[in-house]
Amino acid sequence: MRRPRPWHVGAGAAAAAAAALAAGAGGQAPDPILSAAVIYSSLLVLLAIGLTLTYMTTRVPNFAHASSATIGVYAALVVSRVWEASPYLSIPLAFAVAGATSLTLYTLVLRPLIRKRASQAIQMISTLAFDLVLIAALNIAADHIVRAYQVTAREFTLRSYDAQVGDLPAVLFVAPVAIAGIVVTLHLVLKRTRFGIAMRATIENPDLSSVVGINVRRVYGVSWFLGGGLAGVAGALMSLWFQGDPGLGALLIPSIFAASIVGGFMSIYGAIAGGALVGLAEILGTRWLAGELGSWVIAYRPLVPLAFIAATLMLAPRGLAGVDWRALGRRLHVARA
Amino acid sequence: MSLGPEVTFFVDLLAIYSIYLIINTSLNLEFGYAGIPNFGKVLAVGVGAFVAAAVPGRMLAGMAGIGGDYIGDNIAIMSQVNAWLLDNTGAGIAAFAVTLAVAAAVGAAIGLLTAYPAIRLRGDYLAITLLAFGEGMRVIGINYTEIAGGTLGVQLPDPLVWLPPDLRFPAATVGLVIMAAAAVIYGDRLVRSPLGRLLRAVRDNEVAAESVGKDVMRARTKTIMVAAAMAAVAGALYAFYVGGAISFAYDRLNWTFWPFMMILIGGLANSRGVLVGTLAFVLVRKLITFYKDSLQGIVPFDVVWLDYLLLGVVLIAVLLYRPQGLLPERPTPTVRVPGEDGPAPLTSRLGAIARRLAGG
Repeated sequence: MRRPRPWHVGAGAAAAAAAALAAGAGGQAPDPILSAAVIYSSLLVLLAIGLTLTYMTTRVPNFAHASSATIGVYAALVVSRVWEASPYLSIPLAFAVAGATSLTLYTLVLRPLIRKRASQAIQMISTLAFDLVLIAALNIAADHIVRAYQVTAREFTLRSYDAQVGDLPAVLFVAPVAIAGIVVTLHLVLKRTRFGIAMRATIENPDLSSVVGINVRRVYGVSWFLGGGLAGVAGALMSLWFQGDPGLGALLIPSIFAASIVGGFMSIYGAIAGGALVGLAEILGTRWLAGELGSWVIAYRPLVPLAFIAATLMLAPRGLAGVDWRALGRRLHVARA
Repeated sequence: MSLGPEVTFFVDLLAIYSIYLIINTSLNLEFGYAGIPNFGKVLAVGVGAFVAAAVPGRMLAGMAGIGGDYIGDNIAIMSQVNAWLLDNTGAGIAAFAVTLAVAAAVGAAIGLLTAYPAIRLRGDYLAITLLAFGEGMRVIGINYTEIAGGTLGVQLPDPLVWLPPDLRFPAATVGLVIMAAAAVIYGDRLVRSPLGRLLRAVRDNEVAAESVGKDVMRARTKTIMVAAAMAAVAGALYAFYVGGAISFAYDRLNWTFWPFMMILIGGLANSRGVLVGTLAFVLVRKLITFYKDSLQGIVPFDVVWLDYLLLGVVLIAVLLYRPQGLLPERPTPTVRVPGEDGPAPLTSRLGAIARRLAGG
């Protein structure tokens, strides 16, 4: 019998949201909050997978991760407003640029620090410093876009550049489908290819892996490139629904960390479940609470990831991936009987 | 009499330097000595500023018998309070002192709250949790307007309103310098005390420290509470200095990341390192702001981003090529209590024994 995996929780939650959306879309105009919930949680899944990929290899939480998403947002802006092409064409560009940025952070900053046996705290601070450089670069780029092309590059949205499917925006379908495709690909790569096996071996025991001839540095480099690239893809899609700004990363970072911690930080499947859970809770949970308590609750939405971090660390510090679901099920069963 | 731009520059530099010295001393206690990566430093600083925003204004308005909605009519009430303070200097100073005491107490309470994760978690999880705490503080400050006026902010009563306008900032700066000196001396004495040595022992090898019967949990809690109280006082002082408080100003960059940067550049676990690192940082930033107009022609982008770029790169370079900072950590001598002769240094005692043995 297969052990139930935490991502079943996430998949279930996402499916429930999609069903609710379809029901809503059947009759009257689609509910924008439901659309926002689906898009946001899909993107959070992608961001959490990227962060988890990098964390699993080097064990340093990358505080510059959210700015990789902002790079994707600006790739989409340049492609759709400056080059006047479909924003979806920006996805490969976003993947490449954000991936290269993340690889730069790993090769030029983190790897030398690790070689010099810098403490984990110092490594974390170096990612914060790198983030600062990225934020400055993004702001300079935004100013340049405004000046050179007379295009709004702060607090902008590309919603009107999205295609329509029926009377719904395309990103509503593209985001979950793309995430599903990426997850399946990643799963196959990790389980079926030589590289995936090398990667899993490296994560489990880097020393032993290098002894059997795995190029550990290359494996780490590829995970950092992938992790950053996925964040870039999330950013490119994000701009089609949410507001883009150079400061976007600072707003996203608590949610991304919450999603990864809820997922256990060491499991890609956990990150999927965590991203879906935190994303849906942030949007649908806040709306439900606003209905119960009053609309003032909505402004406190940024506290949701904080609550998730606190709850996870207190109840299940190893996250969803660390929970023994079968044992839990048995115990619930016994309690009910 | 009017102050020239150079004097204003110097006065402002000294004031910011003093405030950051207090915060950095507290962060150095936490991170340098105890090894606690407090990525939520902004929490205690912001809470101190919130106390300054919420307490003295209401207190003085009550004493002066000025009614009205404190947040809604803040500007009108504050101008009445400041007018009343012209004749009631003592009340202003008293409100200032009370505010600092309340800020220290609330800061210590916040420290106790942060100690809860800090004695249970290590390294990355702790850093992420504390960072999230800091963000939470800002969200509450922005949305719960009763504290600091939300997005509009509040003005603070000015305890120095009786001074001639030109002397207000210089006088405030003198006060700040005295407070900062006290904080630095206090921090220095603390790390030379048995607690300071215990913290370093815990940082370097927690199991070893525990195995010789040291209460690691208590030491960490104590450090975080003291550090948070100091940071809260600094936050309140900054709010008084600029004459107002607004939640947006208490962000992660200014009150968490910059302090980390300053103590890392100066050298961790080292009081002189804090002095040097803070000075280097504050000076570079102030000079960039001061020469903004002349720099604008040279750099091909808005100068605002120059210090982000420059300081980010400098910090990475320091971490890579001079991880010990400008002034590396050294064993600190213990404090000699005046009038009481401690045991003679070990070397001289060994020398005496050797001489006795040789002499027969």
